[in-house]
Amino acid sequence: MLGRTIARHGLTLIATALLGGLLSATLVRLAPGFNTDEAALDPHLSSQSIQALHQARTEQHNILRFYLHSLQGALHGDLGTSISLKQPVRRLLHDRVPLTLRLVGLGLLMGWAAVMALALTAAWLRVMACDLCATVLTGLLICVPAAVLALLSVLWNIPGALAIALIIFPRDYRFTRNLLDKAYSLPHIVTARAKGLSEGRILFWHVVPSAGPQLLALAGVSVSLAIGAAIPVEALCGLAGIGQLAWQAALARDLPLLMNITVLVTLVTLLANSSADVIGHVWRGQQA
Amino acid sequence: MVRLGKAIALAAFCLAALTGAALAQGQLRFCLRSEPKTFDPLQVEDDASVAIRYLTGGVLVRLNRQTQAVEPGLATSWKISKDSKQITFKLRSGVSFSDGTPFSAEDVAYTVQQLMDPALHSATGDAFRSGAGKVETKIVSPTEISITFPAPVAGLDRQFDQVAILSAHSPKKEMAVLGPFMVADYKPGTTVLLKRNPNYWKTDEQGRKLPYLDSIQLDIQPNRDVEMLRFKRNEIDLINALDSEYFDKLASTSQNVAHDAGPSLDSEQMWFNEVAKAPIPGYKKNWFRSATFRRAVSQAINRNDLARVVFRGHAQPAVGPVSPANKFWFNSKLKPETCSPDAALKALQKEGFHLENGTLKDMQGNEVVFSIITNSGNKYRERMATMIQEDLQKIGIHVNVVTLDFPALIERMTQTFDYEAILLGLTNVGLDPNEQMNVWLSSSENHQWNPAEKTPETPWEAEIDNLMRAQGSAADPKKRKESFDRVQEIAVEQAPFIYLVNRNALSAISTNVQNASPVILVPQTYWNVERLSLK
Repeated sequence: MLGRTIARHGLTLIATALLGGLLSATLVRLAPGFNTDEAALDPHLSSQSIQALHQARTEQHNILRFYLHSLQGALHGDLGTSISLKQPVRRLLHDRVPLTLRLVGLGLLMGWAAVMALALTAAWLRVMACDLCATVLTGLLICVPAAVLALLSVLWNIPGALAIALIIFPRDYRFTRNLLDKAYSLPHIVTARAKGLSEGRILFWHVVPSAGPQLLALAGVSVSLAIGAAIPVEALCGLAGIGQLAWQAALARDLPLLMNITVLVTLVTLLANSSADVIGHVWRGQQA
Repeated sequence: MVRLGKAIALAAFCLAALTGAALAQGQLRFCLRSEPKTFDPLQVEDDASVAIRYLTGGVLVRLNRQTQAVEPGLATSWKISKDSKQITFKLRSGVSFSDGTPFSAEDVAYTVQQLMDPALHSATGDAFRSGAGKVETKIVSPTEISITFPAPVAGLDRQFDQVAILSAHSPKKEMAVLGPFMVADYKPGTTVLLKRNPNYWKTDEQGRKLPYLDSIQLDIQPNRDVEMLRFKRNEIDLINALDSEYFDKLASTSQNVAHDAGPSLDSEQMWFNEVAKAPIPGYKKNWFRSATFRRAVSQAINRNDLARVVFRGHAQPAVGPVSPANKFWFNSKLKPETCSPDAALKALQKEGFHLENGTLKDMQGNEVVFSIITNSGNKYRERMATMIQEDLQKIGIHVNVVTLDFPALIERMTQTFDYEAILLGLTNVGLDPNEQMNVWLSSSENHQWNPAEKTPETPWEAEIDNLMRAQGSAADPKKRKESFDRVQEIAVEQAPFIYLVNRNALSAISTNVQNASPVILVPQTYWNVERLSLK
């Protein structure tokens, strides 16, 4: 049963990543300015050199052929060459993935630590003022665009990971608070509290097993949220990660680079969601 | 007496050693605004790679960015043939690359052959390509070489300022350099670390080895706001091409940090679409192809206001294709266009245009309306476009301002020709008119208002073609100047480009940096990098 679930998720993951790659390649191909290269404006260049620049773009005109060719290359470990940065895409990704992973990982860790701390406090204390404060804080944060948070982190010299944490925190807090609230309202937990069981024991023996699978699913979704937030944060804070690379690639209509980034981000996002699903599945199975 | 002499000599030696040591210490830090695309100096095309080439590359001759004169580099002397086809260099002896490989004429020959390989499509190489045929190199001796081009190359010696010499034998290839610094470390997307080249040949007047600095850290930082913040936090020491807004902020908060070197070579300009096959109505093409219309638009624009309001006074009204900062090539007879909406209107009325309820109409009764495209995100150009819109409204012309991202704008400008007017800037790196050859030749792809004409479509474009070719093949600088002066006059008379302003060369230099003397030419702040030191 578990094997089947993993296989199903694996197949969905591969199919979605392939489709995502094709879609992103098509979008870039159809974007205005795809056929151009800023370098062609250099007045030193001879007409032959300008023609050579145009020629490099024409090889990508037939998007299906380009995509199949790229897939073929990817199977052999060749992800192509970035048009704008003139470097192998594989090397660019290799150089930049660690920073984004660190940034997103730290952001998620800080964001979830804040979410759990505040949600648990609100659920435990059940004090109106505490809940109100948390609601106002998250409401304010959710109104601030990700780019503004990124700019503030630049201005105040705050680490980019904190900006990511502040982006995911208000979005995850409300769901988590509701899940915990629902769990604390379950009859057996109310009974346990009435019998005077310690809060720690209630939390780890009753609340977590009850709300855990849904929280895991939420954690999976917040990974994609954090990756999305990494683009403005990296671009504005000048951090050399995948987000900054994606921004530069989009501005330069860099088809090979943007396509590979899309596939990579799709894979990571789906992997996070699928892992949450599979673990949740196992968890529920154990509980049953 | 002998003792005293010895004591003085010892003291002088100690002082020199101490000063030398003091000057030699330190790491200069500044930002590159993009990732360098290459470390191969022959394939350089982007600003970041140009910066690294300047800091690491050894050149035969160096254009002094302050005096605008050509000075000896790896070549101690040079001679250009009368027909401007051949240049003979006498090379410095006893020079080695950063890895210890000796430098000789063989390296120069190797570099030139690599550079002129047509398959390389090098912008630096293309600048030498004035005619079809092969470039020949003749090694006369290890310290003398002749290079012969198939056609005359104007300003031949100056062009070698951009050619960093590669080693023909070093296993390190382009990483073996002859310049003051060498690439020591590169963290993609983050930093490029340059360290002092221990084999650099130059010494200062006291015989101390140059450069004074130990290393330079170049942080890759595309965000200008972050660059400015880092400067304020003393994390970086220099900022080149500073925005006027930032300049004023810096000047108001810290003294002796912000520097305005005066008008640069860069110009901001607009032009109309004169392409015959452009997908715009025929009557609009007729306006745009009329020199009277273009001149009237030019006359109605208040350049002083553009300089004062948009650039906060850190720009000068432009005169023509050459900035007054270009000491030799600027045609001093030309004066900036005086803003006169009345004179503009009169000229238009002579051409059959008329005002009707405050709206200008052409002979057929079509309202004079056009759109100006500029690149989005460039606040200066967006503001200039808005001010031009207001100026032209005074003579009844309605202008729509459209902003597009750069690739979309380039596509319209160079491929679909689906635009009416464009407002952009031209970054002039070099001083010689040959640098602008591909802009002025009617057959060129970069002849922006009407690219790649099979034959010149107007008599004045034919005249410019002839003049540009004449100056390109003449050896006598005076004759070249005469030809190019005429090109500038035609450009002003016909206004294919409406030159608006020349931005000032603004920069910021930390007070920790010694011997800095910012200039208008690139690289403004570190042109004398060998002599920069830190307190």
